[in-house]
Amino acid sequence: MKRCASVVGVFLLVVFVAFVAPGPALAACQLGVPVVKVGAQGAASGAHADYGRQINMGASMAVEEINAKGGILGCKVELKFMDEELKPATAVKNTRYLVTEWGAHYLVGVDSSGSSMAIGPVLPELKRPYFFTHAATHRLTEELVAEKGIKEIVRVSVPVYQDGILAALIFKDMPDIKRWANIGADYEYGYTSWNLFKETLKKYRPDVEFVAAAWAPFHTLDFSAHISAVMAAKPDAIFSTPWAGEAVMLLRQAQIQGVFDQIKLWWQAMGGSVDVLEGIAPAVIGDKFKGKLWATARYIHNWPDSAENKAFVERFQKRWSRLPNYSAETTYSAVMIGKAAIEKAKSLDSAKIVDALKGMQINTPAGLRVFRAEDHQFVYNVPAGRVVMDPKYPIPVLGELRVMPVKDYYRWPPFTPVAATK
Amino acid sequence: MGEGPVASGSRRRIVTPGRSAIGGLVLALVLLPLVGGQYAQYVAIQVLILSLFALGFNILFGYTGLLSFGQAGFYAVGAYGCAKLLLLTPSLLFGVVGGTLLAGAAALVLGVLCIRHTRIYFSMLTLAFGMMIFSMALKWRDFTGGDDGLVGIPRAPLEIPGLVSISMASMGRYYYFVLAVSLVAIAIAYRLVHSPLGLTFQGIRDSEGRMAFTGVSVRTYRLIAFVIAGLYAGLAGALLPALENTVTPPVAHWTTSADPVLATLLGGIQAFAGPIVGAFLFFMIKDIIVRFTEYWLIWLGIIVVVLVMGFRGGVVSLATARWRALRPGREGA
Amino acid sequence: METLAFQGVVGLSMAMYLWLISAGLTIIFGVLGVINFAHGSLFMLGAYLAFTFYGLLGWNFWLAILLSLAGTAVVGWAMERFFLRYLYGVDEAYQLLLTFGFILILDDAVKMIWGGVFRIPDIPAFLEGHWSVFGRPFPVYNAFIIAAGIVVGIVLWLGFERTWWGRTVRATASDREMANAIGVNVPRVFSGVFMLGAMLAALGGALGTPVRVVSPGLGAAMIIQAFVITVIGGLGNLKGAFVGSLIVGVLSAYGTLLFPVFELALIYLIMAVVLLVRPQGLFAR
Repeated sequence: MKRCASVVGVFLLVVFVAFVAPGPALAACQLGVPVVKVGAQGAASGAHADYGRQINMGASMAVEEINAKGGILGCKVELKFMDEELKPATAVKNTRYLVTEWGAHYLVGVDSSGSSMAIGPVLPELKRPYFFTHAATHRLTEELVAEKGIKEIVRVSVPVYQDGILAALIFKDMPDIKRWANIGADYEYGYTSWNLFKETLKKYRPDVEFVAAAWAPFHTLDFSAHISAVMAAKPDAIFSTPWAGEAVMLLRQAQIQGVFDQIKLWWQAMGGSVDVLEGIAPAVIGDKFKGKLWATARYIHNWPDSAENKAFVERFQKRWSRLPNYSAETTYSAVMIGKAAIEKAKSLDSAKIVDALKGMQINTPAGLRVFRAEDHQFVYNVPAGRVVMDPKYPIPVLGELRVMPVKDYYRWPPFTPVAATK
Repeated sequence: MGEGPVASGSRRRIVTPGRSAIGGLVLALVLLPLVGGQYAQYVAIQVLILSLFALGFNILFGYTGLLSFGQAGFYAVGAYGCAKLLLLTPSLLFGVVGGTLLAGAAALVLGVLCIRHTRIYFSMLTLAFGMMIFSMALKWRDFTGGDDGLVGIPRAPLEIPGLVSISMASMGRYYYFVLAVSLVAIAIAYRLVHSPLGLTFQGIRDSEGRMAFTGVSVRTYRLIAFVIAGLYAGLAGALLPALENTVTPPVAHWTTSADPVLATLLGGIQAFAGPIVGAFLFFMIKDIIVRFTEYWLIWLGIIVVVLVMGFRGGVVSLATARWRALRPGREGA
Repeated sequence: METLAFQGVVGLSMAMYLWLISAGLTIIFGVLGVINFAHGSLFMLGAYLAFTFYGLLGWNFWLAILLSLAGTAVVGWAMERFFLRYLYGVDEAYQLLLTFGFILILDDAVKMIWGGVFRIPDIPAFLEGHWSVFGRPFPVYNAFIIAAGIVVGIVLWLGFERTWWGRTVRATASDREMANAIGVNVPRVFSGVFMLGAMLAALGGALGTPVRVVSPGLGAAMIIQAFVITVIGGLGNLKGAFVGSLIVGVLSAYGTLLFPVFELALIYLIMAVVLLVRPQGLFAR
C-alpha cells in the first residue's frame, strides 16, 4: 500500500517536472503584465439582447476555464463586457474605451455588421487584434482584410456564406420549389444573403424564379404587410433573414396569416439560433409550421457529434442553465484562439499575435477551425436542417442535417465583388 | 463689474463666466494631451463636438425661444457632407468647411419653412424635417451607404495648398485641431449673442409683438438664428467623420436631436456657457455611469426630471448663484 | 386588384395599433395642452404588463388586458399628479423635456424589471385561425384588432358627445377658467383624462402581446409615428387622429408593397406639408 502511494508520488513528481516545472513557477506571469485583459461587446438591449448575453456567457466561461487552468502563460485573465446597442458609434466608442482606457489586450464579439465595419478601420490605430464572433458581412474580411490589409481583424464565426450560399446548395436539389420570395433584413446583411443565394441557385437551377422581395428594417414590429406583399406573388418558398426576436415575431405573424398552408418551405437563415428556437418552441411542438421550416446558424449545439462539443454543451448548461447559442460558442472559441495565439507568440503585441495565427488549426466545440491567411477568416463547417423536436432537448433542434463541404459553400480568394444592394 | 449680466430687463438673464476661469479652462484643455491618454483626448473631442452642437441649438432655443427637435438633421448633413468630401479629396479643411456650409444651406432652405411657426408647431415641423433627413440617410443607399453608412473615411491631413500640410493621423493632433476650431467657433458665438443681433433674438423671444412694433422683421431674425444653429450643428457633425472614420444614419435620428436639448438643459439655457458645461456633464454622466451599470438611461432620466421640476436654470445658473451668494460684495446688477 | 385590396386590409389592422396610441396622445393634448413625449412608453408599459400577466403567468387574456390598463393608468396618474401638474404654467418646452425624461426612465425600468425576455405567448384559442378575405387568408386575430379599434372609437365618441363626463371634459378643454368657475374640479378632470390617455396607449400595447415582441426602446419608436398621426389629423382632434392612423397604417402597408424606398420619408413629408399648409390638421372643423 505504502509502495503504491510512493509510486503514485513519483508519478506525480514526474508529471510535475514534465509539464509544469519547465515553465517558471505557475504564479509568475510571463507576459510582464498584471493580468491579460479581454474586452468583449455585443447587443445587450432590445429585441436582439440575447446575443450579447450569449457573447458574455461564452466569453465569461472561457475566461473562467482559462483561469482555473493557470491562465495564459501564467497570467490571470480578466474580462469586460459592454453593450454595443447595435449602433456603430457606440461600438467604436466601446472599443476605444476598452483598449485605451481599460487596457484590453485583445477583443472579441460584436453582433452588428455595421458595428464591425465601423470598428475595423479604427483597429490599426489602436493596435489590438479583434476576434469578430457574429457580425456576418463578407466585407469585413473580404474587403477590410484581403483588400485593404487591416491585419487586426480576425473572424471566428462564419459569414453570410452560411445564410445565402449554403441555402442555395441545399435547395437546388428540391426540384418542385421554383418560385422564391424574400423577406429580408433591410441592411447589408439581408441584401448580401439574398444576392448570394440568388447568384448561387441560378447557377444550378436556371428554371428558378425570384418572384418578390420585401425589406424590414431593424426594430420592425409588424411584418404583416411584408408577408402579404410577398405572398401576393404566390411563392413556393420564402427566404428570410430577420433574426433574433424579430425572427420569432415574423414566424408567428406568418403562421397566423396561413403562410405555411400555401408554401412548401421557409428558410429562416439564423433560425437555428437558441433564442429563436426557444421562442418558437410551442409552435414547433404544435406543428404550426407543418415541418416546412428550415434553418441554420453559425454553430448548432447538436453538431458536431464530438466528445469536445458534448462536453462544452454540458459545461455551458451547468454554468448558465441554458443551451449555448452560436454567439456563445464563437466567442468562447475566440477567447481560446486568442489564448493559443498569445501562447505561441509569447507576447501581447498585436502584430505578433496575428502572426501566430498563420497556419493555425484549432479544435473548438464547433469542430476544427482553420485560419485562412488571405482574409483572416476561420473556416469551419456548420450544417443546416429542418427545425424539429428532439426528445433529448427541451427546445427544437435542427434535424435531417445537411452538411456541405466548406470548399463548396465558403467563398474563396481571390474574391469577386458581391452586389451588396437590394 | 465688467463681465456682469447683460440684457438686463429681459425675462431670462444671460450670465457670463469670469475671464480667469475661461483662461484656466483653455489652458487645461491645451495641456490635456500631456496628462490624459488617448481615451481622454477622444472623450474631450466628443465633448467639444457636443458643445458646438448644443451652443448652436441654444442660440435658437435659449436666445430666440424656438425649441427645435430636428437639429440632428443638420448635424447629419454636416457629417455626411464632410465624409463625402473627405472620400473625394483627402483635405480636412475642405471637408469640415464644406460640411458646415452644406448644413447651413440646408438650414436656410428648411428654415424658411420652419420659421413660419413657433412653439409646438415649430418643434413638430423641425422634427418632421429632421426625420426626413434621417429617412434619406437610411434609404438613399447609393449616396449614403444606407444602414451601414459611409465607412473608411480617412482622417485627412490639414492642408492649405502651398502653405502647410499637417498629418492628423494621431489622436493628439486631431484633438488640437478640434480644440482650435471649437475655441474660434465659441468665441464667434459669444460675440454674436452679445451683439445687437443677439439682443434682437432675445427681444423676439421675450416679446415678439414689441419687437415687431419697433420695425424688426421677426421672421428674418428667426431665420438668421435658425441658420446659425444649423451652421453650428453642421460644424459639430463635420468634425465627426475624421474622428470615427464612419458615419451612420443614427446621427440623423431624432434621439440625436435630443442630445443638445438635454445638454443645454443640464447646463442651463440662460447662460452662454450653459450648453458647454452641459455637454461636458452629459457626456461624462453617460461615460462614467456605463462603466458601472448598463442602466445609465434611468439616471439621465432622473436628472432630467429633477432639473425640469426644480432647477430650470441648469447647473451654470445654480453655480453662478452660489458664487454670488458666497461673494456678496461682487454682486453685479 | 385583389392584392391591393388585401394589402389595404392588412394596413387597416396595423392602423388600429396606431389609432389606440394616438387617441390617447390627442385627448391629452386636447384637454391638458400637453404633448406627452412618454406616451409611447406607456404603450410599451402596457405591452410589458399584459405580457407578464398573460404570457408569463398564463392568466386569462381579458383579465391580463384589464390589469395592464389598470397598472398603466396608475403610472399615468402619478406622472400627471406629481410632475406635470406643476408645469402647466411654464413654457411647454419643459413639458416636452419632462416627458422625455420619463421615456429614459421607463426604458431602463422595463429593462431592469423584465430584462430582454421575449417570448410570444400563444394567441387565445378563440382568436386563432384565419378567414378568407379577397381570396387570401386573413388572421382572425387581426380582424379582432380592427374590431377593437372601431369599438374604442365608438365608445370614445359616445363618451365625449353623449355623457355628462364628456361634456365636462370638453368644457374644461375649451376654457379651463370658466369650467373652474362653474364648479368643475379641473385638477381631477386633468388626472382623469391623463389616465384615460394612458389606458388607451396601454390597450394598444397589450393587444399586440400575442403577435409582437416587446422590447425597451419601443416607446421612442412608437411616439414619433403617433406624433405624425396627431399632426396630420390636427393636434387635439380625435376624429382627425382616427383618419390619420388609417392614412399612416394603410400607406405604410402599400409602401411595403409598392414603393419601399420612399415609405419612411413619405409619412414625414406628409407631416411637414400638413404643418405648413394646414397646421390645424386635415380634419379641423
